[in-house]
Amino acid sequence: MKKATFVIFDKSYIIRKGIASIIEKIENTQLIQLIDQEDEILSCIKNDNPDFLIFNPHTLSNVLLNKLSSLTRKTKQIALITDSESIANYSNYAEVIDINNTQSEILKKINQLIGEKEIKKTSYNYHEEISTREADIVKYIALGFSNKEIADKLFLSAHTVVTHRKNITRKLGIKTVPGLTIYAILNKIIDIDDTQ
Amino acid sequence: MIITKEIKMADVIHKNYNTLFILKRFGIELGFGDKTVEDVCEKYKVDVDFFLEILNAYVNHDYFPKKHLQTFSVKLITDYLQKTHQYYHQVKVPEIELLMQEMIHKCYTKKENLELLKRFFEQYKQELLNHTNREEEVVFPYTLAIEKAYLENNPDKSVLKLMKDYSIDIFKDEHDNIEEKLTDLKNIIIKYLPEPKNSELCYRLLQELFILEKDINDHSRIEDKVLVPKIREMEKQISSKLK
Repeated sequence: MKKATFVIFDKSYIIRKGIASIIEKIENTQLIQLIDQEDEILSCIKNDNPDFLIFNPHTLSNVLLNKLSSLTRKTKQIALITDSESIANYSNYAEVIDINNTQSEILKKINQLIGEKEIKKTSYNYHEEISTREADIVKYIALGFSNKEIADKLFLSAHTVVTHRKNITRKLGIKTVPGLTIYAILNKIIDIDDTQ
Repeated sequence: MIITKEIKMADVIHKNYNTLFILKRFGIELGFGDKTVEDVCEKYKVDVDFFLEILNAYVNHDYFPKKHLQTFSVKLITDYLQKTHQYYHQVKVPEIELLMQEMIHKCYTKKENLELLKRFFEQYKQELLNHTNREEEVVFPYTLAIEKAYLENNPDKSVLKLMKDYSIDIFKDEHDNIEEKLTDLKNIIIKYLPEPKNSELCYRLLQELFILEKDINDHSRIEDKVLVPKIREMEKQISSKLK
């Protein structure tokens, strides 16, 4: 699994290190950089493209905040706040961490963020696993069609279908028709009712 | 490490606790103090050489039984294989089913995904049952008949017809890949089962599936490397005797 990457900005050494030590406790996280200079933030995002940026919005200039909010990169922003304000003020942020939060609260919030990232990956990007063409073939296998029938439907030679099936099995580690059917249902390639 | 007669039975288990499954199959109970493998086998009327072959083949994947191979009766081998069948159907499979049931019970959303896995395992269970039934009803009786004919000085000619209708090489060919579905099931759980899931139960289920898979592979290895060559040799000698 790819690690979730973090960049932390704060002027205070203690706060930077404190947040970092909590994040290090979570599996599959990686701290790219701890920054104390405001002008380094943008270049760091540009170069390292981290998954998460943690900073205190009050310590940044409005110009920089605007620039950050207009960034279209994948970096999600986590607001670090020092006084218990209404969280509603931070609706633009992926998460809000209050400096008075307990360690377990912070761990929970970050774990949740990492979890969301993972779920997105597994549910929409099955194409990373198998190609669209292969997904088509999985669909027909799951629906109970033979190699010959699949070849006719997709205007392929039977030989090509066999090659696709081999590749599918190699990529997924699933060989049997019932196994592929479950894969197809779990990945929403077919609906469970289609198999009845 | 090759296990020998002189090693203490307790040490065998300390070295590899998976041997417990084998002990149980031979009816050996715990509490053997400092007795050696030989002593314990004697107490339970277990053929120590055969026990060692099975144990070593199980512990060490590359271990290839040779020396004692021909000394075991076919009955000894098929009895053991039959015991492993019972172990699958009476112990392992129900354990896995129970775990799957628990997973479904403790799951509040997306129960249907787990129901799918359960149905898949039920299909596998049936396949396994067909496989072991075929061995017990066709293959084992055949091997015993061959052994009987082999041991007789003047075997009845009817055995030739038996060999014509079925031979151990047919068994080897039809010895289908019973682990395929098991591999699929493991991969689905490891790679593709979406959240939410009960990790603790998933881990336990996977562990059970791995144990069952290893055991089945081991079982097939004994059939392919011990039983098949032994019977093939007997078939040959019977044929030449009756020519």
